[in-house]
Amino acid sequence: MYYLSNKRTLRRGFCTFLATAGLVYGLGLVGPNSAGQAQAEEFPSKSIKIIVPFKPGGRTDVVARLISEKIQEKGLLSQSMAVVNADGGAGANAVAQMRRGDTDGHTIIHWHHQALIAMAMELGDFDMSDFRSLGYTGGGSPVWAVKADSEFNTIEQLVDHLKANPRSLVEAVGIGTIPHFVGGMFANAAGFETRYVTANSGADRLRLLLGGNADIALFAASEYLAQGDGLKALVYFGRERLPEMPDVPTATEAGYDVSWTNPNWWLAPADTPDAAAEALSAALEAAINDPEIADYFRNNTLEPYWMSGADARADAENVLVRLKKVAETIQ
Amino acid sequence: MLDAFIQLFELQNILFLVLGTALGIVVGAIPGLTASMLIALTLPLTFHMDPVSAVTLLIGEYVGGISGGLITAILLRMPGTPASIVTTFDGYPMAQQNKAERALALGIMASVVGGIISWFFLAGMSPALAEFALQFGPWEYFALVVMALVMLAVLAQGSLAKGLLAAALGMAFAIPGIDSSIGQARLTFGNSALLTGFGLLPVLIGAFAISQVIRDACAPQMTQKVPVPQKRLPIFGSDVKTHGLNMIRSSVIGTWIGLLPGIGANIAALVSYSTAKQVSNEPEKFGKGHEPGVVAGEAANNASIGGALIPLITMGIPGSVTEAILIGALTIHNLQPGPLLFQNAPEVAYGIIAAYLVANVIMLLMMWGAVKYIAQVVRIPRSALLSVVLVFCVVGSYAVNSNFTDVWVMVAFGIIGLGLEAARVPLGPFVIGFVLSPIAEEQLRASLMMTDGDVTEILSRPYALLFLILAVLTVAWPAVVARLKPARKEEMK
Repeated sequence: MYYLSNKRTLRRGFCTFLATAGLVYGLGLVGPNSAGQAQAEEFPSKSIKIIVPFKPGGRTDVVARLISEKIQEKGLLSQSMAVVNADGGAGANAVAQMRRGDTDGHTIIHWHHQALIAMAMELGDFDMSDFRSLGYTGGGSPVWAVKADSEFNTIEQLVDHLKANPRSLVEAVGIGTIPHFVGGMFANAAGFETRYVTANSGADRLRLLLGGNADIALFAASEYLAQGDGLKALVYFGRERLPEMPDVPTATEAGYDVSWTNPNWWLAPADTPDAAAEALSAALEAAINDPEIADYFRNNTLEPYWMSGADARADAENVLVRLKKVAETIQ
Repeated sequence: MLDAFIQLFELQNILFLVLGTALGIVVGAIPGLTASMLIALTLPLTFHMDPVSAVTLLIGEYVGGISGGLITAILLRMPGTPASIVTTFDGYPMAQQNKAERALALGIMASVVGGIISWFFLAGMSPALAEFALQFGPWEYFALVVMALVMLAVLAQGSLAKGLLAAALGMAFAIPGIDSSIGQARLTFGNSALLTGFGLLPVLIGAFAISQVIRDACAPQMTQKVPVPQKRLPIFGSDVKTHGLNMIRSSVIGTWIGLLPGIGANIAALVSYSTAKQVSNEPEKFGKGHEPGVVAGEAANNASIGGALIPLITMGIPGSVTEAILIGALTIHNLQPGPLLFQNAPEVAYGIIAAYLVANVIMLLMMWGAVKYIAQVVRIPRSALLSVVLVFCVVGSYAVNSNFTDVWVMVAFGIIGLGLEAARVPLGPFVIGFVLSPIAEEQLRASLMMTDGDVTEILSRPYALLFLILAVLTVAWPAVVARLKPARKEEMK
């Protein structure tokens, strides 16, 4: 109590407090490394920042949080991880964040193939050369659905109708987003055309489709399943049928060479050192192989798997070539 | 439903609800920090809770966050959350007339009444209302927003020309960014920082909070006289008669606008405020510390949460960022909101409904108890208070997208806001134009895409047509009244 009576003492007390806090903080930082100066270069040397280019609550955000929690829980990396949401500008904000951060692996991005679409549309000021791919931790494929009381029961009926009556049906898409490109690839492969209505989120697509303001929309398989009898899925864009919806054919089965899997893609700045990238990849691989994470993925119609950084990059480059072709036709 | 209430009164759940509501009120009251930030921050904590506790915590934060905004709106003319913009119109003038406690008490009462009325809609009519809301397509959204924009012209105080100028400026600032209708950059001058456009929060706290901070900082230090708190809060039995109808009307408007995903609490409060002004016998008093103004805005913004929860729990359609995070919290527990939620996890679905009601009651108790002390905030020396506010504004606008550009945007809009006020251009229409025009634009263009450019479609849509007629009436009403008045006078003679 007595310091409160005297301002000078108070100030001195405060300085002592600051000094003590600083000392404790400093010790805290040095602590883990003090075991051996030889390992001073060891990665990670401080908390790792995971940038998610979306608002919190979406799939990419949730997966980033779950995986980083798992990595901490199992001590797969010696430091903690923090998720930072940087929505906006089709990912440009997230990339700008990454560029401002460390290039030694302490700043990474968790994204998906929306990144490739932004590159194909040349929206942001970034491309593949900005990134080092760390790997895919699983992914999921969408379905094309119509309302339950729609006249169309199979994808053939729908395609035939659209071929006979071009632009007669409305598709809910956000221009320049994944539904737009997947729909565009399918339309190009099958040779039909739809009209669009702007829908910039899964919620918008659902609202428009259920309200009868759109005829077709793309959904994550889990979004579709949660609607119960409200929607009817006509085609699944995965490579194989999904056990939860055994009656929905894949596009390939229906005779169209289209498939789309949207992976959980981990990226680091291009000049990240090998050792750091390898440490991160190893931790991610171990996390995705954890039974709890795998359960979460399966319950949300995502497939848990690991694809190494180099393979993921090769896959992404293939997809980018295809997306650029679609971008030419829809721009 | 009863089970859900019983479950809610388990110690752990009620504690989470109290904690969530309290945090929500505090964060909601701080300009710059919003309920959605708080919910995003607490999201990781809910991973390890059981799903019912998780939703009670988050619902408490949601309700508290919208309610807390009225405190700073009334006392400092800085809306604590975007939904409290209209509360500044009459709440702050009331505070200046030494009626701060009265304004706070009315705002709190209105908030609770709004919450409870919308709860009845939520608990009793969810499926039917969700069906109804779904019928609203792009044309209806567009017509609704046009109606709100026209009401804005009526809202403009003083010079109509200046009001329209402010609205047009607001709309102009909404243009840069990625054009959501074609996915291309627009007016960004090749600058990737502008790709995001100007965010709502930086613009809003810039125009209201920062400009106010600068203004107050320049003003000579004045010691504001604050009346000694009264023993009893100034709410009277007669208020039921004076404000009852307004509260009910505003709550219903709030619920119905809240129903529409993507429209939200800000617009609900605005529409109900304009409606209150239109039907009032003394519209000229609005904006100068008129009690019904505070009531209309606060009843509607709280009611809109109940409305917004309807499509969320029945269809899994989130109405706002806050609700999208709520869905994220559920998916972590392997629960997908949608029609199946009531079958798969009834305890969670009903838990949300029950928690919403109880959170409103808790909010009432807390704010009621604290209001006397809260009103004393204005006794804190301005220099100290404003510094704290400034810090939160910077932190808040940075935290939305972890982007420092947003902080500069906030500062810039603070200066713009100051300039506008100096030129006696009202800030209300400016911010409202900024909020509404992107929705109007996107929905109109979506409509035209859908119909291949055919505008006449709007005439075949009953709700859209209704909104347009209301909009025309809003404009024509003063003229009609002017015509009728001489006629009536003659009759009287």
